[in-house]
Amino acid sequence: MAPQHPLVVNGETVEVDVTGMPSLATVLRDRLGLTAAKVACGRGECGACTVLVGGRPVMGCITPAVLVREPVETSEGLAAESADLRACFADTGAFQCGFCTPGQVVHATALLRAGLPPGSEERQEHVRHAMSGNICRCTGYQAIVASVCTVADARETEQAS
Amino acid sequence: MSWVGSRVRPIDWDDRSAGRTLFTADLPGERLVGRILRSPHAYAEVVAIDTTRARAMPGVHAVITAADFAPGARYVHRGGPLSDRPPLADGVVRHVGQEVAAVAAETPEQAAAALRAIRVRYRPRRAPLTPGQARSPGARRLHVRTTDEANVSMRLDTTWGDPDAGHRAAVVAVSGSFSYPSVSHAVMEPNTTLASWDAARGRVELWTSTQAPWFIAKEVSQLLGIAHDDVVIREVAAGGGFGSKSKASEHEALAAALSRAAGAPVLVALSREEELGANKPRHRFETTLRTEADADGVLRALDADIAVDNGSYNHMGTSVMRVGVITLGSMYRPDGVHFTARLVDTATQPGGQFRGYGTPQVSLAMESQVDEIAARLGIDPIDLRLRNLAPEHAETLCGYRVGTNRLGDCLVAVRDGLDWDAARSAPRGDGPVRRGWGVAAGSHGSGAFAYDQADRSDAALDLFDDGRVRVRHGGSDAGTGQNTILAQIAADELGVDLADVEVLSTDTERTPFELGAWSSRGTHMTGSSVGQAGRELAGRVRELAAEKLGADAAEVVLRGGRAHAQGRDVELGDLVGLAAEARDGVLSHETSYRVEGTEMLTPDKDRANLSPSYAFAAHGAVVDVDRRTGEVRVVDYLAAHDVGTAINPTAVEGQIVGGAAMGLGAALGEDLVREAGRVVNSTYLHYAMPRSADLPRVRAHVVDNHEAAGPYGAKSVGEMSIVPPGGAVANAVADALGVRLRELPITPDKVLTALAEQEGRRRRHGIWRRPSRWWIAAIRALYPLGLHHVLDRWGTRLGPARRARSRPPAAAPAVLVATGLDDALTALARPGAAALGGGTDLLPDRPRQARPAPVLVATSAVTEMRRLETRDGVLRVGGAVTLAELAEHPDTPDVLVTALRSIASPQIRNTATVAGNLVQAKRCWFFRNGFDCYKRNGATSPCYAVLGDHRFQHAAVDGHRCQAVTPSDVGTVLPALDAVLVLAGAAGVRREVDAADFYSGPGETVLRDGELVAEVRIPLVAARRGAFTKLGLYTGDFATASAALTVVADTDGRWCDVRLVLGAVAPTPWRLRAVEAALTGTRPTVADVRRLVDAELDRHAHPLPRNGWKLDAAAGLVEQAYDAL
Ligand code: FES
Ligand code: FES
Repeated sequence: MAPQHPLVVNGETVEVDVTGMPSLATVLRDRLGLTAAKVACGRGECGACTVLVGGRPVMGCITPAVLVREPVETSEGLAAESADLRACFADTGAFQCGFCTPGQVVHATALLRAGLPPGSEERQEHVRHAMSGNICRCTGYQAIVASVCTVADARETEQAS
Repeated sequence: MSWVGSRVRPIDWDDRSAGRTLFTADLPGERLVGRILRSPHAYAEVVAIDTTRARAMPGVHAVITAADFAPGARYVHRGGPLSDRPPLADGVVRHVGQEVAAVAAETPEQAAAALRAIRVRYRPRRAPLTPGQARSPGARRLHVRTTDEANVSMRLDTTWGDPDAGHRAAVVAVSGSFSYPSVSHAVMEPNTTLASWDAARGRVELWTSTQAPWFIAKEVSQLLGIAHDDVVIREVAAGGGFGSKSKASEHEALAAALSRAAGAPVLVALSREEELGANKPRHRFETTLRTEADADGVLRALDADIAVDNGSYNHMGTSVMRVGVITLGSMYRPDGVHFTARLVDTATQPGGQFRGYGTPQVSLAMESQVDEIAARLGIDPIDLRLRNLAPEHAETLCGYRVGTNRLGDCLVAVRDGLDWDAARSAPRGDGPVRRGWGVAAGSHGSGAFAYDQADRSDAALDLFDDGRVRVRHGGSDAGTGQNTILAQIAADELGVDLADVEVLSTDTERTPFELGAWSSRGTHMTGSSVGQAGRELAGRVRELAAEKLGADAAEVVLRGGRAHAQGRDVELGDLVGLAAEARDGVLSHETSYRVEGTEMLTPDKDRANLSPSYAFAAHGAVVDVDRRTGEVRVVDYLAAHDVGTAINPTAVEGQIVGGAAMGLGAALGEDLVREAGRVVNSTYLHYAMPRSADLPRVRAHVVDNHEAAGPYGAKSVGEMSIVPPGGAVANAVADALGVRLRELPITPDKVLTALAEQEGRRRRHGIWRRPSRWWIAAIRALYPLGLHHVLDRWGTRLGPARRARSRPPAAAPAVLVATGLDDALTALARPGAAALGGGTDLLPDRPRQARPAPVLVATSAVTEMRRLETRDGVLRVGGAVTLAELAEHPDTPDVLVTALRSIASPQIRNTATVAGNLVQAKRCWFFRNGFDCYKRNGATSPCYAVLGDHRFQHAAVDGHRCQAVTPSDVGTVLPALDAVLVLAGAAGVRREVDAADFYSGPGETVLRDGELVAEVRIPLVAARRGAFTKLGLYTGDFATASAALTVVADTDGRWCDVRLVLGAVAPTPWRLRAVEAALTGTRPTVADVRRLVDAELDRHAHPLPRNGWKLDAAAGLVEQAYDAL
C-alpha cells in the first residue's frame, strides 16, 4: 500500500499519499484542489507558495509533505481572518496581478498574529524585512508593507477599545 | 461622472486577494503535462533527432519536432523578411534554450524521462555571443539579412533637424558609452498555456497567460495551419506581463500542437529557469552618445551610435530599437539629432518586448549626459532640464505631435519634494557613507501605431434585464487594473453602480476585435472604445426611456441604475425588454473606435506621430553609497508624473511605484549573466531583483493635467515609470562619489573598482614570491589559451553528471523519518542513504545530482538533534534546530543572531536546520545551476568561474581548481565564537571538531560518510562583543563577502581576545589569525584594523581578474563590523 500521511489542512484531517516525496504545495494544489498557494519558482526562492505550518510561514514548494506534522493553514483557510488585510490591500494597490498575493497575505497573517513592534518606523522596517522572502514584481512592495502596518494599528485600536 | 477619477478597489479584489482567482495552472480537470526539450548549445547544426524511444515510453502521448509543423514554418512577429524564428528548431539552433522538441505525458516524471530519451545529434559551431563579436571580421553570420553588414538585422542612419546648426551654436560637449543590461521581466506567473484540441472541428481552445490574446491566436493559427478564428482563447487570470506576455512566448503553439498530436488537453508551464534562461528579456543597448549644449545649457545637438543586442531572432527588436532612438528626438528641443543604430544578431536568447521598449536604455545615456553638461556649466541639473523643456502642442524632431507636456511641473515637484536645493547645498561630510541626489526625465507614448489596425479598438457592452452591465473587450488585464478602469467608465456612462458592472476580457469568441494591452495602449484604446460604446448605448437607453416615460430623449438622465425624466424614473433593466434588438434579456451594443491623427511607422519613414498622447515624468533619487563596501542604497525616491487625469488614482500610483521599482532593479542589481550564451543566474536566488527591504518608499506624485486627446483626460502610465530610474540613480551615484558609472547595474564591484581608480589604489599580491600559487597561476593562465575549450568541449563528456543526463531521471527517494539519533545513524550507514534536514538546499539541487541518494533520512524528528539549551555556560544547539529557533533563543550571541537573520527568508529559516546550513552545497552559480563543472562533473571538466563571471561569488584568496566558496554564514560566525561541532557516526562514535577546522574546501567538510552534525556547542562568554557584517546583492542573498569580529576587552578597553573571520572571500571561512594576534593587547582605531587587514589580504590574495574588488569590500566589512561593535 502506498505510504499514507495524515495532514491537518485548514482544520480538516486528510490522509495523503506521499509516494515520490511530493512537496506540500503539490499535495495542496494537485490532490486537495487548494490552488491559492502558487508555484512561481519551485525552489523556495520567491514565497508565492507560502503556507503556515504550525503557525509558521514556510515555502510549500520545497517542504516535503511527509515531514509535515503540524497543522497547515492556507490562504483559503485564512480568508476570513485576513479579510481586513485584503480589503486594505485592495484600497491601497498592494496587489496588481495578484499572483504573489496569497503568499503575501498568508505571511502577513502570521506577522499580524505575532504582533508588530511599536513605533511606526520600526513597524515598517520590521515588515519590510520580514516580507523580503515574498517577491512581488508588480507593486514595488510599499503598499503591501503599509497595509500590514495599517491593519496592525487598526486591530490594536479595536482591541484597546 | 462619479466613478471615473475615483480610487476604487479592483473589481475582483476579494477573490484575487484570497487566491480564489484561477490562473492557467490552477484550472481543474485532467490534462497531460507538456515539456520542452531545449538546445544546450549557443549555435549548432541539428544533424538528427530520434524520438523513437521517447514515443514508446509509458505514459507518453505525443512527441513533436519541427516535422510536425509545415516546412519553413516561422513566427510572424514583425512580418516579411523579419520573420525568422521556427516553432521548433529546423536544422539549426541559435541560442541556448531554443526549443527543439516537446513531449506530452501523463505525469511530470514521465515527461522528464521522455525528454531525456530523445536523442539529438548536434554539431556545435562557434558563433558570436556579443555585438562586438558579431560585427568582427570573420564572425559566423547567424541569418541572411537585408543589410550589407554581417549580423546586422536592421540599421537606421537618420538625421532629424539641423545638427550642423547645433554644432555651431554649442560651446560644450560630452561623450561617452553607456550600457543598459539585459534584464528579465521575472513575472511571477511563469508563462503557462493549457491547450485543448477539438479534432472534430479542427480547432483549439487555449487558456493562456497573455496580455494580447489576438496576437496569440494569430501566431498559433498560422503555425498550426488553421484559421485565426479556429484558435479560441478563453479568459483566465494572467499573473504579470510587463510586455513579456504581449506577444507569443513560444510555448503556446507547442501546447496547441502537442494537444493536437495527443488528442487530449495539454498544459505547458515554463519553469523559472526557462523564464529567466530561455524567454525573451530586455534588449541590451550599448549607446555611444555625444551631447552638445550652448552656454545657457540648452542642448543643441545629439549624435549617437547604438548597438542593440538582438539575440538570435528578430521578434520586436526592430521596433524596440526605433522606439529607443526616438528618445533623442522627443524629449528636449535640440536643433538636430543624428544617429546610427544597429540591431545586431548574437547567438543568445532573443530580446523581446519589455516595459519601456528601448526608451530606458537610450534615456540612461541622454539623462546622464544632461547632468554632465550641467556639471560642466555649473548649472543645477533640474534648472538645466527646465531650460530645455519642449513646447506644448508642438511637433518634435521625431515627428511626434505632442499635446500637453507638464514635464516642467514634474521637475518642480521633484525639486520641492526632495527639498533639492537645500539638501544638495548642505555640507556633504567626508564619512564612509556619501549621499547623492539625482534626477532624470523621460517621456512615453500612449500606444504606438505599430501594426495595421493598431489605431483601432472595438468594445461591446451588454445591459441585462436585471440591470447588470457587462463590458466585453478583447484585451487582457495581466495586473494593470485595466478591467477595473473599464468598469468605472461603463458605470459612469450608463449611470450604474460599479458593483453592477462585470468585465469579460480575452475571450476571442465572445469579445470584439482588439489588439490587446501593449505599448501602454490599454487605457487609451479600450478606455476610448468602452467610453464610446457606453455613450452610444446610453443614447439608445435614453431613447427607450423617453418612450416609456413620455419624455424627450435629451431630458433623460441616467443615474443610480435608473433613467430619470419628468419626475419619473424606470430601472435600466426594465428597458431591455422594450428594445426590439434585445436578445434573451440582453441589450448589447458593439462599437469600433479609431484614433485620429496618428501615423504608422513604415520602413521608408523615420518620422511619425505614433501615439495619440504623450506622457512625461521626472524622477528624483537620493542614494547613500558606502565607500567601504560599494553598496548603493536608495533612501528616498520621488516619481512625478504627467498622466493627464487619472481614471483610477490608486491604479496609476501602483503603476508608477511598480515601474520605478522595476527600473531600480535594473539600475542596481538585475542583469542576465551568460557563460557561452547560457544564462548563469537563471533562478531568483541568483537574479538580484529587489526584495521588499531593498527598496525605498517610492513616492508617486501626479501633477495636474487634462489631456484633451485622452479618454477622460488620461494618458498612459505603465511604461513611463520605468524610463527614468536608470538615469536618476546613475546621476545620484555620480553626485555622491564624483565618479560617473556608465554601465548598469551599478553593483558594488563597479563602485569599488571606480573608487580604487579614483584614489589611484592598486593591490599587489607578489604571486611571483609565493611558490604555492605558481601552479594555480599557471593553470589560470592556460585557461584562455585553450585549456578551457578542451575541458569544456571534450573533458565534460567523461563526467558522471553529463552521463547521468542520458539516463532516465532518478526515481524519487524513499524518506525515512528517524526519531532517535541512533536510528538515524544506523539508517545513514546503509549504502545510498543521505541525511535530510529542512531540505531547503538539498531538494532544489537533487535534479542536478549525478547520483541522488535513493534514501533520505530525515533528522527533523530526532529528539537529540532538536535540543536547544544552555548547560554549564555552553549553548548546545542540536543539528536539527531550525535557524529561526536558534535566532529566537535568548542565549544565542547577538553576532550569531545577526548572521542568522541575514540568511535567505523567514520562511526558509523556519525550515532550514543549523546542520543543513553548515553542510550546504558550495556557493557558485555555475555549480548550483547545473553546469558540468569540475566539482559536479569531475576532474576532466573546467571550472567555469575562471573565465566566466566571478565578480560576486568566487574566492579571491586561496582559490584552487574550484573557485567556489563556502556559503554558510553560520559557518563564518562559529569560529569567531570558538564553537565546537559534535559529529556523530554509527555505533556510538562521537568526535568533536573546532568550528574553525570543520571545512576542508568550498562547501566541503570533514564529515565522514554516515556522520551527522549532531550538535553545535557555543561557549557563552559574557564579556565577548561581536558583530557580523555582510554584503549581498539583495536582502536574503548569500554573502558576496562577510566579516565576523568578536572581541573581549579589558577594563581599559584593550582588546585581549580577538577573533576575525572573513566569509565568502576564500574557499572556506578564513580566520585572520595574524591580524587577531597583532590586535591583541591594543586599543585599535578603525584605521589600525583596516591597515592590518589590508596587509593580510595583500599577502594572501590571489584574485581572479574581476574579483579583486572583493578584497576592498571585505576590508570595508571589517570596518563596518568594528563600528558595529
Ligand atoms: S514557489 Fe515556492 S518559493 Fe517560489
Ligand atoms: S501583484 Fe503581481 S507579483 Fe505581486
